Order: sequence, then C-alpha cells, then structure tokens
Amino acid sequence: MTTSAPLTTEPAPAAAKTAWKRIILLGVSKYGTLIAMGILIVVFSLGVPNGAFLSPSNLLNIVNQSALTAIIASGLTLVLVVGEFDLSVGYAASLAGVLVTGLMVNQGLAIPVAILVTVLVGSAAGAANGFLVTKAKVNAVVATLGIGTMLVGLTFGYSAGSPIVLLPAGFVQLTLGRFLGIQNPIWIMAVVLIVLWVLLNRTPLGQRIQAVGANAEAAKLVGIRVDRTKIAAFVIAGACAALTGVLLASVLGSGTISAADGYLMDSFAAIFLGSATLRNGEFHILGTLIGVLVVNVGFNGLSMMGTATFWQYIFKGGILVLAVALSTIARRYARA
Amino acid sequence: MSAPEATTAGEPLLRVDRLTKTFGGVQALKDVSVTIRSGVVHGFVGANGAGKSTLIRCLAGIHRPDAGTIELDGAPVDIHTALDASRLGMAFIHQEMSIIPGWDVLRNMALGMPYRTRAGLIDWKATRRRAEIVAEKVGIRFSLDAIIDDLSTADQWLVMIARALMQDARLIAMDEPTASLSPQEASRLHGIIRELTAAGTAVIFVSHRLAEVSELCEDITVFKDGRVVRTAVGQRLTSHELVEAIVGHHMELTRRPEPPAHVGEPVLDVEHASDGRLVQDASLQVRAGEVVGLGGLVGAGRTEFTRLIYGAERLRTGEVRLAGRTVRFHEPADAVAQRVGIVPEERRSQGVFLDKSIDFNINLASLDSLRTGRFVPWLRLGAGRKRAQRLIDEVGIKARGADQPVGALSGGNQQKVAVARWLTHDRQLLILDEPSRGVDVGARAELHTLIRDLAGRGAAVLVVSSDNEELVALCDRVVVMAEGHVVGELVGDQITTKAILALSFARAHKQEDVA
Repeated sequence: MTTSAPLTTEPAPAAAKTAWKRIILLGVSKYGTLIAMGILIVVFSLGVPNGAFLSPSNLLNIVNQSALTAIIASGLTLVLVVGEFDLSVGYAASLAGVLVTGLMVNQGLAIPVAILVTVLVGSAAGAANGFLVTKAKVNAVVATLGIGTMLVGLTFGYSAGSPIVLLPAGFVQLTLGRFLGIQNPIWIMAVVLIVLWVLLNRTPLGQRIQAVGANAEAAKLVGIRVDRTKIAAFVIAGACAALTGVLLASVLGSGTISAADGYLMDSFAAIFLGSATLRNGEFHILGTLIGVLVVNVGFNGLSMMGTATFWQYIFKGGILVLAVALSTIARRYARA
Repeated sequence: MSAPEATTAGEPLLRVDRLTKTFGGVQALKDVSVTIRSGVVHGFVGANGAGKSTLIRCLAGIHRPDAGTIELDGAPVDIHTALDASRLGMAFIHQEMSIIPGWDVLRNMALGMPYRTRAGLIDWKATRRRAEIVAEKVGIRFSLDAIIDDLSTADQWLVMIARALMQDARLIAMDEPTASLSPQEASRLHGIIRELTAAGTAVIFVSHRLAEVSELCEDITVFKDGRVVRTAVGQRLTSHELVEAIVGHHMELTRRPEPPAHVGEPVLDVEHASDGRLVQDASLQVRAGEVVGLGGLVGAGRTEFTRLIYGAERLRTGEVRLAGRTVRFHEPADAVAQRVGIVPEERRSQGVFLDKSIDFNINLASLDSLRTGRFVPWLRLGAGRKRAQRLIDEVGIKARGADQPVGALSGGNQQKVAVARWLTHDRQLLILDEPSRGVDVGARAELHTLIRDLAGRGAAVLVVSSDNEELVALCDRVVVMAEGHVVGELVGDQITTKAILALSFARAHKQEDVA
C-alpha cells in the first residue's frame, strides 16, 4: 500500500521522495514495537555475559513468564475491541486463585471440577459487568470498578483472610510440568490465544465484536444485537481472567488474596503496546501477545544484566508511552 | 460596542448584496440580496436546500461567500469567524441550541462573555445583575439558578435569546425556533420577539410554519433553489401567497419511472404509529414490487417514522404489520431477521464502517450464511470475499478491490456498499433514508437504477428523501409528512415536485384556517 495518487502524466521526483518517507513512517508506526523488541534482544544478547540471554532455556523462560499475562490480556483485548473497558479482571483472577484452591482443599472437589466451577464463576462476573454496562447503561469504568471491588470482598469472605495451602500435587504439577520439553503454561497460552484469535477473526461473533467496536450505531442498524455482543466480550474476559488466576495459584502453590491484582495494569500495558503493532492502532490478539513479550524480554534482560529493580518499572512505563506515542505520531505524519 | 439605539427602527441595518456561494459545483446561493431593517422581524422561507441556512451560515462566519458583499450600517464587513459575527452584534440561535446541559441558566446566559473582576476572575455579581435586567426584558419568569435541562424547550429558547442580548446583539437570527414548540409556547415566543423588535433589535426568523411567518414578519424573503424569488418589505403576505412563491412555476424536468410491471401484496402496513413526540398517528403501506417515497420538509418526522418501523425507537401506539403478520421489533436486529434491509440517513456515522474493508462491510449483514456449518462457526471468508467482489461488480462500486477500506471510497460508492450488503439475500422490505444525499449525479442515477431493480425483483421499497426531484424520478407513490403527521399521498402522474412541496406546507394552511 503506497499512495493512492491519481494518474498523472509525470510523477515528480519530489512525490517519489515523499512516497518513500511515507513507507518508512508507516513502517515505524506498524513495526516500531517489533523493531524495539529486536533492539532489546540484540542489546541483551551482547550485554548479558556468556550468551546466557539467548540460551533456549532463558528464551523459554521468558515465554513461560509471559504466558499468564498473555491469557488474561488476550481476554481483555476482546472487551477493548468491542469498545468497552474492564477494570475487574485482576480482581477476578485473584478471586479465582482463592476459589479454585478452596474448592479443592475445603470442599474436596476434583481438580478439573474445581477449575471448571472457577472459570464459570469468572464468566459470571464478566456477565455481571456486561449486563451493567449494556442494560443498566452504567459507564464501563464505574461498573467494572464496582464489580471488581465486590470480587475483592468475595475473595476475603471465602478465604477468611488467610492463604489456602496444602494443594493436591496434581494441581501444582499443572504449571510445573512440561510437554515435549516446553512448559505447560506455554502450551495452555498457545491454545487459548489460538482460540481467541480464531474467535475474533474467523467467527460471526468476532466480526460482530469488531463491528460494534468500530461503530456501535452502524452495527445496530446492520442488525447486530449490540448488547449481546458486548456481554459476550465481557464473559470471555472474565473466563480468561479466572483461568489466569487458576494457573497463578498452581504456580504459587497456594490461593493467596490479591495475588493476581497486578495483572490488570500489566494487561492494559500489553494491550496498548500491542495496538501500536502491525495494525493502525487497533487492538488485536497477536499485538497483545507481542506487547506482553516486549515487557517480559525487557524485565528478563534487565535483571540478568543486574539492573536495579526500579529500572525495570521505569523501562516498562517508558516503553509503553514511547511505543504508543511513536506509532501515533508516525501514522499521523504518514497520512499528512 | 454600539448600543441598539444607534440605528433608528426601520432603517437598514444589514445589507447583503449579490452573495454567491458554491459547494463542490452546486450553487447554494446565487446573487442573493437581502436587506434587514432595525426593529423589524424579517422572515426567511423556502423549501429544503433553498438557501436560507447557507445565507445564515455566511452571516455567522461559518461559510465564506465566493462573491458579493455584506454591509453593516453602510460599511462593508468581513466575517471570518463566529467571533467576528458576535463582535459585530449579530447572534445566531440554531435549532440544536448550544446550551450546556447540567449548567444553570445564569452560566448558560453568561457563556462567552462573563464580566470580570480586576483580578481577571469572573465577576458573578456584575454578571448576575446584568442577567437579571436581560431576563426581565425577555420575560424569563424562572430562576436564574434553575438547571437548564429542567426547562421546557420554549424556556431554553428564551435563555438563548437572553444570551444574545447579554452580548448586546442588534441582530438575532433564529433558525426554526417554533419547530418543537406547542402553539401556546410559540405565541409566547412571538410576543417576546415583538418586544425585542419594538426595542430596536432586528430579528431574522426562519420557519416552515407559513401562517406564523405571515402573521409575525413585517419583511419576508422567499428563497428557491439558492435564489431570492420574492421580497416583501412592510407588506404582509398570506400563507397562500407564500406557498405560491415557494413552489413557483417549476419546470418538471424529471422523468417518471416506468410503472411497476407487477404490484403484489402489501409487505409493510403501518397503522396509526406514534412515538408520542415527533410522529403522530402516521400510517402507510408498501406493496411488493413498489417504490414508495416519504417526502416532506426536514424535521417533519420522516426519519423518526422509519426508525419506529424497524425498531430503532419504541412504538408508543399503533401497529406495524410485515407480510400480514403483526410484528413488534425491539431492536433493528429483529427487523433484519425478518428480511428487512436498512440504509440509514447518516452514511458515514450510521451506514458504513469507514475503517473496515468493503467485504467486511458487505458481509456483516449476512454472516451466518458464511458459517461452515450450523454448529461450526468458522467463517468461510474466501467465499465472503468472492461474494463481495461479485456485488462490487454488479452494483458498480468503483474500488481497487474488496479489501479496500470503505473510508477511501467516494460518497456515492460508500452508499452503494451500504445498499449492497442487503443484496446477498432476498429482502422483502428495504428502507432507505436519503439514499443519494452527498452523492454525485452519476452515482445517484446508478443508485436509482439499483433501487428500481430491487423493486422489480419483488421487494417492497420505502425511500425517505428531502430531494423532491429524487422522489419524482424514483417513486410509484409518495407519502408526504408534515410536523409528524402524514398529510397526503400522491400516485403516478400526480407526483410532481410542485405537488410534493405544496403538501409539505399543507399543515401550515390548516392551522391558519383554524386560527
């Protein structure tokens, strides 16, 4: 896609020059985040002694560390694609961690049953968000903040304030195990992301989610049930949040209050970072995955180089702001 | 700032001389000359697109005229921005009033010109003193601390007038102030306008209600096709004379469509539909194979009527029957499920998804037909793209390919996309609102052919249009609405632009007869 210049008899050299400029700017706007990740990898592979950064085990480690964030962030991506907002996913994940462990330890449920019930509870929380936003027409920020706070309350109520430990070995093994030499969370992430990608890009529901996000009024007049579509997106986000909470409990070996709260901000950072990648500011699953990976590559590399922890956060915030700003500015200049 | 008493009543205040304005080849104003006198209510009347609003927008600094001059107090003025207009003492109140919801009356009145203390802060005491004087003048009987949202439309108009007077306006232009007022409220507003002019202010009064124009306005300018076709100074015209001037001796250039080969059973049957506000007891019928037009002036309630039909708004009373069965649509999706197609009024904000590709836009209305199986939701996007490509060729959409974003197409081609999405499957009813607004002449003719073809294949088609020539060229039958009511119906050779226009103003006659 270069210029849509009308047919002129003599293409002026100046026009050719600006066309080049445009291609470069468009490249920066679309691939800037990926280029940044490339630069980071080069810097870390040179900066970390003994090539430890580029070792297969470290690279797998980075992906493994990204897996849980990628799952919760991909679910949240659908809510942003549909044009809404969800501040409750972190709290929903925390509740899920406490609930799934409690169901096994206190209620004695089998592992798969406990996980299923927990994911259903997460979906129900998403449905509650969706109903509030669509039917009661509560602003999404307010509705999901309210529901999220109630979820915190439920977490405390269910766990009576203390962590739930003494988990079945099989549950801990869920995230500790490997298949074909690759950690299980990576496989789970791959399955979830492929399902969500297909859902968003290759199913009627996904097309509707995109349409509602692009223009809700037009979507309504094409015959899309806007409310249902939005509720579906919230439900998926809730289910993904619950799954992340379950996996985190397995990693930690306990159901801990507030353990997953931090995923909220990490998810938003990854999603917005991803929206500045490959597509023109649109939210999409692959972008979200790249967003998560960029942050974790940075974290991993910086800590291997022995950088103080506070730098990792400055890096994380900095790259988010920088990538999105750069991509937006480049796109604007490319259009002008 | 000059005080209102600078010019004596009846003296020319504003003189517009041979103003011309062209929009992309369309002449919106041609050699328009108008004189507005101090202390006089000056009526602007004319059909949709006759040039009234364009002239007002030129005076307000929204449009720049291509040629011609504007003189204030005998001196030529250049109006580049809304601020220029306001500095010259001209205030404009548009139909969508620029009130700030949630603010009280005082703050709404003081918007843009509060008094300041020496420290540069707003001097609310001085502002309030001034506001109280102005409020007294325009007959505001409610508290200045009332929240503007709680006021009736009529009272909100008073606040807008008061704001204009806060700024020492010598000329106030009002665009259809009475359109949404009850007769009592309207006559109250008339009284206030008379007091304003008695105090020396000039008022431009735009209205489709000809009876009130003939009663209220001392001077009247009649617009038609961008020209001034009649000027009456100090001589009151009756509403019959006004209709005569508005309709004029229009040459009927438009060719009528061939009568439909076969008109079938009624597909759409609406009886006594009301929304309790903008649509009152409206009925109409559309048969299979028939193109029915819905004509009338802007604001007559036509769009609202169609939105009631396809479920975008709640039907208060009345009944909608589709193919003989009573239906109750809660949202447009219910109508679409019953094979109704909708092409909404605002193409860019309601009709198409500008950032999305052509095939996305086209296939969205029939996604389920692209599923691999009933229980397999995987979309056959390849088949969808082929289908879109076929429709692009069939409908004649000029595009590089099915993957091009719709936003990159011309207005006419965007509209063809909005229509094409309903062609993937047979629709029993198609409702199009202003299908050729902002569409060039060539694409317009193609759209008309497309619409006729659809009817020819047995669909019932309902077309809302403010362009009467379009209704003449396209429709087998035209239903005309005015002020929320269906006021008449024209069939076959009765359908002329003149007849549609005369009916559009019909309700104004009735009110006069009652008065």
